[in-house]
Amino acid sequence: MWDFLAQGFAVALTPLNLGLAFLGALIGTLFGALPGIGPINGIAILMPLAYTMGLPAESSLILLAAIYTGSEYGGRMSSILLNVPGDAGAVFTTLDGNPLAKQGLAGPALGLSAVSSFIGATLAILGITLFAPLLARVAVMFGPAEFFALMVFAFASMSAMMGKDPLKTAIGAVLGVLVATIGVDSGTGVLRFTFGIPELYDGIDFIVLIIGLFAISEILLMLEHSHTSDDGGAMAPLGRVMVRLKEVLFCKWAILRSGLIGFVIGVLPGTGASVAGAVAYTTEKRLSDQKGTFGKGDMRGLSAPESANNAAAVGAFVPMLTLGIPGSGTTAVMLGALMLYNITPGPTMFTEHTAVAGGLIASLYLGNLMLLLLNLPLAGLFARVLTIPRWLLVPAIAILAFVGVFQLHSNLYAIFLMLIVGVMGYLLRKLGFSLAPIILGYVLGGLMEQNLRRALAISGGDSGILWQSGISIGLWIAAAMLIVLPWLLPWLWRKRNAASCSLSK
Amino acid sequence: MNINTGFRRWSALAVIGGMFMTGGAQAQSGTPECIAPAKPGGGYDLTCRLAAQGLQETGLIDQQMMVRYMPGGIGAVAYNHVIGVRPDDANLIVAASTGAAVNLALGKFGEYGVDDVRWLGALGADYGAIVVGADAPWQNLDELMQDLKSEPGEIVFGSGGTIGSQDWMKAALTAKAAGIKPKSLRYVAFEGGGAALAALLGDHIDVFTGDLAELKPRLADGDVRVLAALSEERVGGPFADIPTAKEQGYDVQWPIWRGYYVGPEVSDADYQAWVDKLKKLADSPKFAELRAARGLFPMARFGDSFDDYVKEQVGEFKALADEVGLTQ
Amino acid sequence: MNIAADRILGIVLLGLAAFVAAQAMQLHVPFSYDPLGPKAFPLGLSVLLAVFSLVLLFRPGTNGDWPRGVLVLKLLGVLLTLLVYALVFTSLGYLPATALVVLVLSRLFGAPWAKAAISGVLVALGSYLLFTQAMGILLPASDWLTALT
Repeated sequence: MWDFLAQGFAVALTPLNLGLAFLGALIGTLFGALPGIGPINGIAILMPLAYTMGLPAESSLILLAAIYTGSEYGGRMSSILLNVPGDAGAVFTTLDGNPLAKQGLAGPALGLSAVSSFIGATLAILGITLFAPLLARVAVMFGPAEFFALMVFAFASMSAMMGKDPLKTAIGAVLGVLVATIGVDSGTGVLRFTFGIPELYDGIDFIVLIIGLFAISEILLMLEHSHTSDDGGAMAPLGRVMVRLKEVLFCKWAILRSGLIGFVIGVLPGTGASVAGAVAYTTEKRLSDQKGTFGKGDMRGLSAPESANNAAAVGAFVPMLTLGIPGSGTTAVMLGALMLYNITPGPTMFTEHTAVAGGLIASLYLGNLMLLLLNLPLAGLFARVLTIPRWLLVPAIAILAFVGVFQLHSNLYAIFLMLIVGVMGYLLRKLGFSLAPIILGYVLGGLMEQNLRRALAISGGDSGILWQSGISIGLWIAAAMLIVLPWLLPWLWRKRNAASCSLSK
Repeated sequence: MNINTGFRRWSALAVIGGMFMTGGAQAQSGTPECIAPAKPGGGYDLTCRLAAQGLQETGLIDQQMMVRYMPGGIGAVAYNHVIGVRPDDANLIVAASTGAAVNLALGKFGEYGVDDVRWLGALGADYGAIVVGADAPWQNLDELMQDLKSEPGEIVFGSGGTIGSQDWMKAALTAKAAGIKPKSLRYVAFEGGGAALAALLGDHIDVFTGDLAELKPRLADGDVRVLAALSEERVGGPFADIPTAKEQGYDVQWPIWRGYYVGPEVSDADYQAWVDKLKKLADSPKFAELRAARGLFPMARFGDSFDDYVKEQVGEFKALADEVGLTQ
Repeated sequence: MNIAADRILGIVLLGLAAFVAAQAMQLHVPFSYDPLGPKAFPLGLSVLLAVFSLVLLFRPGTNGDWPRGVLVLKLLGVLLTLLVYALVFTSLGYLPATALVVLVLSRLFGAPWAKAAISGVLVALGSYLLFTQAMGILLPASDWLTALT
């Protein structure tokens, strides 16, 4: 049953793909290190270019996957050195990473996060190897009704775990779903919200949407930052370059626990690296912060989110490959990349596109190893990226965005749309919205509507089909628990505390 | 608005020197171009690449043909672009298929109709197929049709397109052949044929109206049974055992041709030149390999005969759409 | 003033919800195989959106830091530059358009004239070579210049 892995290594070990994995790891680390250009931006910008380079599907996916995992590695640099998280997933890295850097331990902090990332990602890759083919077998049983229940579950897990502002997370998700309704309705062929503009018939293109939302709005935000603060200056010195084995061993349980947490969260559709980092950090703080050192430069507080967000990044591939459901914003973009190649990920992915699925997984092993080897000795060099001035960085982002969109559309309309979306993205970010719910709403919402309607078309209108199979019932219960537990647990907690308090009296 | 092409042979120096003198990037005016009116990777991309690669490898064009993507409006954006912006560009061909004819018939291309461009020819075709799961109760088309007649609401059809799409047309025509109104079918639209096929494999739908070429890997595995090919006569190769609907007594045919059109104001001489090139291409053995590699069956209709064919087809689709109440 | 932004957003979203609902009501379907049809989902979303906007109206969060003064002008400048870039991208051709845009953007982000000009030329050329030579991407040509000569 693990033939796909052997075939995958055969694919991944060809010189071209090995080179691409290396190149991707390198580019990804650089992209991740640039403040603001997290993995989504990096992949969104490079994806159309990778396609037009004429790379075969598996090579292109290997390149993008390497960029993805590489940028998770790179994201920690600006977090640790500048206290600026490269993306949402790296927010929790700053909490203990930057204090460490300020204590003159920037070098060991970078090294430790590289090792934690490596271990977390490796755990997750082992998880993928074990579970993805199994899940693929289950996935054939997923019909429209099960998919609908899965989407409900995904939205429930989003609501339970995401963001500091639940209202705005919800609004963002609704806006994303609304955007997805634009264009030809795939059930009846009716045009929705197209206002007679033929360019809108096919809906708002995913690439245009994400390049606008992320890259263009980032340019505007960078302008603000460059206006209000001077860049550079605040970078901490690196200090000693290598991390000591003793330090790694001190964090071993934090790393292993967080890796598992990260993988499980990554596998759940609708949540990603940012959630994993948050959950792992808070869990670790609760479990091992006896002396109150977390947040003041505790190495475990650094290694936990690093291990978790890399594990989640990898775990998110599982639902993407087996169900065609992205586990995170970034894998949603990767899904778009596969669609470019006419590959619809799903239950048949491991049988019909063995080379692509296996090659991807094999390349994750190799890419991860390359990243560790690349990152341990070269941390100092990569950190230099942070000193690229904004006035050079911004035009480069603009060019990549324009060329990427024009390449796929040959149409100025798409570029205007990208700019409009960019301004909206900027305003929403200023209003305290996070962009991930919008993207996930866009991706999951369309699936939710169509699968609900498909299920009802199959049953001839009988809604009983929605909770007919064991899989759907399980998903409904899980979704209900996700919504109820966050309310129930604190309540139970308080009750027990109150009880113990009264006992001690 | 030309797109530059043969730049790789320019040295870096020449580019730097030429940048402000000649504007650097520029196209030789004769560069042939094919617009794929969709995102990269779909059937239109394949159609353009078939022409580009074929013409290049058989030496019928001396410059590489550029493939450009112009998604939007299920092809309407490209259609309007050609008629409105480049009606007389003799170097431009645009990929089209049966799906475009269906959309034209339904009036989805805006103000323009089938007469507003010049139809060049088709280089290949795929055929519709009626597919059921390997454990389905129906062994041949007639059994399915009998059941459909008695209980149309009990059999769930599915395919990769919405109501009014060419994928749906296959199910609608099948229903009509059984004397059932397409409206009274039970039908589920999926996002692409792959998803519909997966639903058939998972037993979520009973009948999948798909295309022959995409079934090849499944036939070998034996998880599906093709009840009928919607072609005029049996196609060969791995599909030789599959009977046509016609030979089973139901005259349903659904060829999905892959062809090209040019702008309305392209001169007769230029139009004829393209027709001749495509004809020559279709005759070359090398091209037969390229076409087979893309899972297409032979189809050769060019020039006026193709133009008539498309117009006639659009007329038929219109009548069908009116009949089932799709047009307003 | 302090809590205005969320209130404005609430009103805008409420308007959007009404607009979506009105548009959805007008959808006309010849026939549909599913009982919900294309209207139900957008209508449901508009109701959700309206509810959320009302919550936002009555319980707005803190107002963020909004740009003012020169920064607003600069932001508009960047947007205008990008808009002009889009407009001249095909008509002017990739190289001149890009060189110009890099120059202006660099200036807006605080680079001195000399640096901005040099990076404009170098970035345009470098990216051009990278895209066309290494990646095989098609870029718009500058036909107008050939027409001049």
